[in-house]
Amino acid sequence: QGCVDHPIVLTEAVCNPLYSRQMMSELLFECYQVPKVSYGVDSLYSFYHNRRQNWPCSGLVISSGYQCTHILPVLEGRLDAKNCKRINLGGCQAAVYLQRLLQLKYPGHFAAITLSRMEEILHEHSYIAEDYIEELQKWRSPEYYENNMHKMQLPFSNKLLGSTLTSEEKQERRQQQLRRLQELNARRREEKLQLDQERLDRLLYVQELLEDGQMDQFHKALVELNMDSAEELQSYINKLSLSVEQTKQKILQAEVNIEVDVVDSKPETPDLDPLGSEQSLEDVESINEFEPLFAEEQPEVEKPVTAVQPVFNLAEYHQLFLGTERIRAPEIVFQPSLIGEDQAGIAETMQYVLERYPKEQQAILVQNVFLTGGNTMYPGLKARVQKELLEMRPFQSSFQVHLASSPVLDAWYGARDWAVEYMTREEGWITRKDYEEKGGEYLKEHCASNVYVPIRLPKQAPRTTEALAPSRVLTSSTGNPCEQA
Amino acid sequence: QSVGGEAMNENKFLNTDSSTGSVETAVKPLPFKDPNFIHSGIGGAAAGKKNRTWKNLKQILASERALPWQLNDPSYFNIDAPPSFKPAKKYSDISGLPANYTDPQSKLRFSTIEEFAYIRMLPSDVVTGYLALRKATSIVS
Repeated sequence: QGCVDHPIVLTEAVCNPLYSRQMMSELLFECYQVPKVSYGVDSLYSFYHNRRQNWPCSGLVISSGYQCTHILPVLEGRLDAKNCKRINLGGCQAAVYLQRLLQLKYPGHFAAITLSRMEEILHEHSYIAEDYIEELQKWRSPEYYENNMHKMQLPFSNKLLGSTLTSEEKQERRQQQLRRLQELNARRREEKLQLDQERLDRLLYVQELLEDGQMDQFHKALVELNMDSAEELQSYINKLSLSVEQTKQKILQAEVNIEVDVVDSKPETPDLDPLGSEQSLEDVESINEFEPLFAEEQPEVEKPVTAVQPVFNLAEYHQLFLGTERIRAPEIVFQPSLIGEDQAGIAETMQYVLERYPKEQQAILVQNVFLTGGNTMYPGLKARVQKELLEMRPFQSSFQVHLASSPVLDAWYGARDWAVEYMTREEGWITRKDYEEKGGEYLKEHCASNVYVPIRLPKQAPRTTEALAPSRVLTSSTGNPCEQA
Repeated sequence: QSVGGEAMNENKFLNTDSSTGSVETAVKPLPFKDPNFIHSGIGGAAAGKKNRTWKNLKQILASERALPWQLNDPSYFNIDAPPSFKPAKKYSDISGLPANYTDPQSKLRFSTIEEFAYIRMLPSDVVTGYLALRKATSIVS
């Protein structure tokens, strides 16, 4: 057949870039041969669906989706686009934040804390606190914590022993390496001691030759040793005997060190240092490597009540305890500083948007605050928004907050309502002819659409001719082909 | 099933990161597509057969900025929310309670003594993880 026969209603982002719209229109008109297309904003369709008797009406639409949150003032049914604001936080960021929090809290379950489980926790177990600071204070008390903490049971995995022992394993390995090095050093010292001893004996023997008066043999021996006089011989002997003494000392101390090391606690390491200064350079370097390791191990040795103990309660090991995380994750959309974002939260952005209007219009807008979008399904959101409005509006002024009847699906219902109503009318549809005359970025405004800014984009040059496979599928963002009912 | 009379609604976000292309090498013609269609986005200057020069969001926004906008026109980058005017409240990195204290060694925030003890025992990767969560990791270590 090669074409799609029916008109299409499509949602797009608020203030969709012209390039994207051009690409989309091109795809629909050229490739799928659609007769006419209408673009709109999903939250405005949802607003349209939830309208009460008087349409067109005004209101402030707050739509929080998976990726971003929009605050859209609607005046007389038309979007007031230059005063819209978008916060780049949505359900996705909340899920990622929760995931990282839990992964840092339970590093052993790193792989088991997946995004889909996080989304489940957000959907089922999270709520938005009406007063964030007060809620947190409630969580301080142990009884409240015991009563309201949710335990998530993870599926059993056999890897638990491997993960708990890694820190212990590391300790073991470090100690083994230390011992090995020390043994090596001790062996080297002993060999050196032996060599030195032998040389010392030889020199002493030569000295005895001198004392005994056997001058010829003495001189011959001196020549063999490459020495010139008796004084040199004497000095060599002195030096050698000194170094032999030192080596013997070191060996003794090394034995003492090995015993002291394992039981040592941090305050005692300075005592070893004066002894350590006599050690050879190699020893000092190798021990210095291990000193920072020692520093890490000391607190664990001193405080035996750490997490290094093996866990016996397998069921509890596989549980995640959700306490304040239940309110922290959804809170990022009100306080983006939790996640490090510079933008203002919903409350402050609402205030900012409202202040761009004169007071009468503010009052009108605030009478009809509308919450929609998947990320608004937390229990407690409506109360929270009401409290924020109460704080920012003038004393004893009234406001009304409504939730969409079904925040996730309302956009579709709204688009269907619009399409059914405007099916035969001309306004709002971009026909094929319009597309060809005015380019892909053309948009016909209607009650739920973006505002059109008439800037022509240069038409992208099509690819020069090459016989390409006709069944090449274009990008995944184009979605599913339309179905005929 | 009336011809031309049915409106199908598709709810779809035109998220502009259309940079991933999936090439299907099926041979049978797809029923809805015009078989002679070549999308203009495919192929740049010297692109090969499989090279789709889809722009990612940054490129799209960059080229959008270059267009002749008026001062009051709404556009995708104009409607970003402004930064907050109020100072951020400090919460403990571990428990989320309001935090009055900061550990000078690791720069983590904490609210009780037990949290402080816990912080001092954390391995360094967990510490950097908490700081990265708050976007507080310093470039100079």
